[in-house]
Amino acid sequence: MIGRGLEGLQAASIERGPLHAMDQTPKPGSLIVEMRNVTKDFPGVRALSGVDFQLRSGGELRGLVGKNGAGKSTLMNVLTGVFPPESGEIRIQGRSFARLTTTISRQLGIACVHQHSQLVPSLSIAENVFCGSLPVTRLGLVDWGSVYSQTAQRLGSMGLDIEVRRKVEGLSVAERQIIEIAKALFAEARIIILDEATAPLPKNEVEMLFGFVRRQRDQGAAFVYISHYLEEIFELCETVTVMKDGRNIGDYVVSDLTQAELIRLISGAEVERFRHETRSRAGDVLLEVRGLDRPGYYEGLSLTLQRAEIVGLTGLEGCGKDSLARALFGMEPRGTGQVTLEGRPYHAGSPREALNRGVAYLPRDRHGHGIIGLRSVRENVTLPILSRLANILGFVSRRREQALVRDLIQKLNIVTPSMMQAVQFLSGGNQQKVVFAKLASVEPKVLFLDEPTQGVDVQAKTEILKIIDQLSREQGVAVVVISEEIRELLDICDRILVMFKGRIIREFPAHDPQTTVESILHAVEGTAAE
Amino acid sequence: MTSRRAVPILLDNLIWLLLLLALIVFSTLTGRFLTVFNITNILVHSAVLGIMVIGQSFTLVTGNFDLSAESNLGLIAVLGAFLMTASGEPFNGSGIVLSPVLTLLIMFAVGLVIGALNGQLITRLKMNNFIVTLSMLIIIRGLAFLVTHGKTVTGIPEGFKALGNGSLGPVPISVIVLLAAFALAFFVTRSTRFGRDLYAVGGNIDAATVSGIDAHKRIRQVYLISGAMAAFAAWIELGRLGVGATRIGENMIFEIQAAAVIGGISLFGGRGTMLGALGGVLLLSSINSGLNLMQVSGFAIDMVRGIVILAAMLIDAQKTRYASVSAQRAIGKRGRA
Amino acid sequence: MRPRSSTPFVLRHLIWFLVGAIVIFFTLTTRNFLTVGNFVNILFNASVLGVLVIGQSCTLITGNFDLSIESTLGLSGLLGIWFITASGPPLYGSGWMLSPALSILLIHLIGLGIGLINGLLITKMKVNNFVVTLAMLITIRGLTLLVNNGQTAYGVSQAYNWIGLGKLGPIPVPVIAFLLLFAIAYVVTTYTPFGRELFAIGANRNAAYASGVKPETRIIQVYMIAGLLAAFAGWMLSARLTNAMSSMGQGSVFEVFAAAVIGGISLKGGQGSLVGALGGVILLTTIGSGLNLMNVSVYWIQAIRGLIILVAMLIEAQKVRYMGATTGTGGTKGR
Repeated sequence: MIGRGLEGLQAASIERGPLHAMDQTPKPGSLIVEMRNVTKDFPGVRALSGVDFQLRSGGELRGLVGKNGAGKSTLMNVLTGVFPPESGEIRIQGRSFARLTTTISRQLGIACVHQHSQLVPSLSIAENVFCGSLPVTRLGLVDWGSVYSQTAQRLGSMGLDIEVRRKVEGLSVAERQIIEIAKALFAEARIIILDEATAPLPKNEVEMLFGFVRRQRDQGAAFVYISHYLEEIFELCETVTVMKDGRNIGDYVVSDLTQAELIRLISGAEVERFRHETRSRAGDVLLEVRGLDRPGYYEGLSLTLQRAEIVGLTGLEGCGKDSLARALFGMEPRGTGQVTLEGRPYHAGSPREALNRGVAYLPRDRHGHGIIGLRSVRENVTLPILSRLANILGFVSRRREQALVRDLIQKLNIVTPSMMQAVQFLSGGNQQKVVFAKLASVEPKVLFLDEPTQGVDVQAKTEILKIIDQLSREQGVAVVVISEEIRELLDICDRILVMFKGRIIREFPAHDPQTTVESILHAVEGTAAE
Repeated sequence: MTSRRAVPILLDNLIWLLLLLALIVFSTLTGRFLTVFNITNILVHSAVLGIMVIGQSFTLVTGNFDLSAESNLGLIAVLGAFLMTASGEPFNGSGIVLSPVLTLLIMFAVGLVIGALNGQLITRLKMNNFIVTLSMLIIIRGLAFLVTHGKTVTGIPEGFKALGNGSLGPVPISVIVLLAAFALAFFVTRSTRFGRDLYAVGGNIDAATVSGIDAHKRIRQVYLISGAMAAFAAWIELGRLGVGATRIGENMIFEIQAAAVIGGISLFGGRGTMLGALGGVLLLSSINSGLNLMQVSGFAIDMVRGIVILAAMLIDAQKTRYASVSAQRAIGKRGRA
Repeated sequence: MRPRSSTPFVLRHLIWFLVGAIVIFFTLTTRNFLTVGNFVNILFNASVLGVLVIGQSCTLITGNFDLSIESTLGLSGLLGIWFITASGPPLYGSGWMLSPALSILLIHLIGLGIGLINGLLITKMKVNNFVVTLAMLITIRGLTLLVNNGQTAYGVSQAYNWIGLGKLGPIPVPVIAFLLLFAIAYVVTTYTPFGRELFAIGANRNAAYASGVKPETRIIQVYMIAGLLAAFAGWMLSARLTNAMSSMGQGSVFEVFAAAVIGGISLKGGQGSLVGALGGVILLTTIGSGLNLMNVSVYWIQAIRGLIILVAMLIEAQKVRYMGATTGTGGTKGR
């Protein structure tokens, strides 16, 4: 169970092997969760591959880290009974299961707090806490006095001083999450999973949450904390499990690791990598941004994009990188500042206007803003250019449309039984390619890609990177790749910009000795290189 | 700071403000509005609509429609009348001439059966509630016609009609029933686990399920309630109207939804109170009465009703906008950078 | 064209199989069912419902409801006659004596206007579409009652009534009108950018917006189309009946929904076809007609129609379940 699978690690750079408090063979009864050899498949992708995972009883603060697609959420989904594993064993408090259901998992004391709330917004805090188990008087009526006083008391004992009659919808996100955790604890949950719980939170609220979590851990609760924010892992967690490509590559004691080591563990070495040949760019400036300022999102942003270059844009969640793209695409307000495209002033109040000027955007949220699952590949791809495909009568020219779509399917290697297939039935990678095809059909000049390889299997990832390269090389498109996958950015970008708290703080040109995964990650976290 | 707390409170009790406004407006415009006689009148006319709104509010709170309600009212009313009366002209009854008590039992049974059917189709067969109750609306109205062959049934025993047109001293029984029913409904939704579960189911069905509430069972139960309310309303209506007309309840569904919505019951579920719904019913009836007294053409009244609903909905939409804006402010978009 | 999925042919074109089954049933159980005359009669009876269904289908495709169409029908039918006839008994018109052409133009403009108001309230004022069109349904019906004080207006203008009673050769004009409108609607929704955008908006409004579609504009446009068609239907009906009761059309909105949904138009939006909707209209009307020929009591007919809708919806619900089962939960969950 201990730190297995050092495969893929650049072993030479870590002198100390992984140290782990669970070095000894676990005594029976001392583990509250024991998952063995768990495998989980989805159509087209193996999300978990023989994963072992354990939690000690008596309270633990375990971090769970890994890149997007590493399998963190899937593992927790198996634990909470959302998905049945293909194989493997799950032991909770000594009892063994081949699979769990959400009901059983709940009864066993496992609870999960995600970004989407499991609270009823129109009801009060107290009522949410007691939802489904309201205390009643002898007459069988709801004892409201007890509801409020008990809630206030219990929350108070957790160190929370909040007006329990307030409606949940009026609470901040951090407050809601705390209430959810409190609620889970009241329901005798002993294992609480926090899945990217802090992503939307401002710093001071994170502190509040952590204080609360620590107190509960002292009372014996175990927390699994899934996060991208390594700072937080180091601040909150005692131990950390690192996942990569569906495997658990090790359990470590946090205080035994440095950030650099952890970073290296997470990113590892790619099996197959696509390297993009950087050409020197004497290219003309395509897009110029000067002093873009939007309070709360970014400030003083200035950058230029040249034809045929690929620029990486990275930073933590909330640093402003995706807001910038959406603002330039007309999906969000831009704030003040100047933007010129091809020398002329550029304003886009809606995606339509942006597309008309040749600016396109690949949304991060594929299902929400990218694909139209119910409709066919063909319809998805040609949606932005329908009027261009129309003949004199105003009908969309079947012939031209089919030719265009066929061409794009072939170029992008989209795997689909036909162009008439509804997009929801394609695999994640192919769905993403459909969105690419849609953007390609517009023949854009500037392309913003927000996490283009997220949730996509390894093969498709490589293909997508090739597509990006092709677009820039063959059509002179200026591409901005927004991503947290530093390695991928290093593979294809001509330069990488790092944003922090709404500003661009560093630029890393390709082929520069300073341009390494570690230094970029340090810039991303706002810390100095070691 | 205070205005930020005052506004939501104001908006939550919007219906009472509107009602107050209507009362003020009408009592200034006509002399006879604010009299005991008129208020009683308003309440009497609210009785049937009110009972139906109770039933609909129960389903709406869980996030479900019951479009069949108006047809349930119609079928149960004519069926009841049919069973109790002699055959042939001018009664057009069945000739079975059941006792009023037995008929009443059958009426409620029918209401429960229809409610059960709706509930099963929606929860077990996972059919869309709008479609199911829409189909039932059509089917059941058809059955009503089948029972009476389009004729009006007369000759209902006086005793039976007492609920609808009788009085206890100066107070009409239907008014007592109306207020009692709303009080009971309010009580149930406020102070019983059952009632609170409904709000959870409507507000966030996943959260409710995770908290251990059997959401589907609750949904089936509210449809039963809706069916029973239709039976109850049928009883009152037969008394009020005096005869079993095949078209009883026709087109009422719109007014029912409107009264509920205007009273604060959200179409999305999880919000609103029975008290508010009562307010919605009273508002619509008051507008009716006031305009009548002002001798406004009966037809203008419908128009005004529609406009009032629109206005109330516009304000309600702003309320939702306001709530989400303040929530966003609380969240703070800056995030963690 | 509907995107392909793994559902078998029969389930996808369910409605036409149902129509076929019903036709066979009635051919066997009644005389004179399988005649041209009878089919033309069915289409004649279907025409007003059909026109309304076109409008409703368009709004449903974008994921929006329009409950107000029955009242728009009522208002325009009344105004259409009211504008052109003399006041007082026996016609009870307005006395304005407008020309039929002007009257027809006006009522269609009014239909457009109502649709515009609906669209604006829903998109700009962000009021829920169900509630807005519900309120409009009540308001406009009220207006209709107000116009003529509840009095039925009678129309004797040949020019006006032509749309309801005229014939082109052996075929009644309303049949031609309704089929023609369906054809146009089908072509527009299937082959034009406008139509394709409607589906996109209904299926995923956000993704459509991110792809350059302007959902608000389109939604306003479909409501205007629905209003326009409702006005046209009002013209057709009042012309056929040669009178307009202020209650004309009341209660018909449910049948419109039923026909659309039974024909495959999804209530959630983004799916369905006008051909299917036409099938729904024809199915409901055929059942009515066939039962009539079987001398089934009028009162059974209503109930049976409702039952057919329910059964068809049951099958539809099973189809959705079946599709879900064979294709799994869809998509990869990389994390």
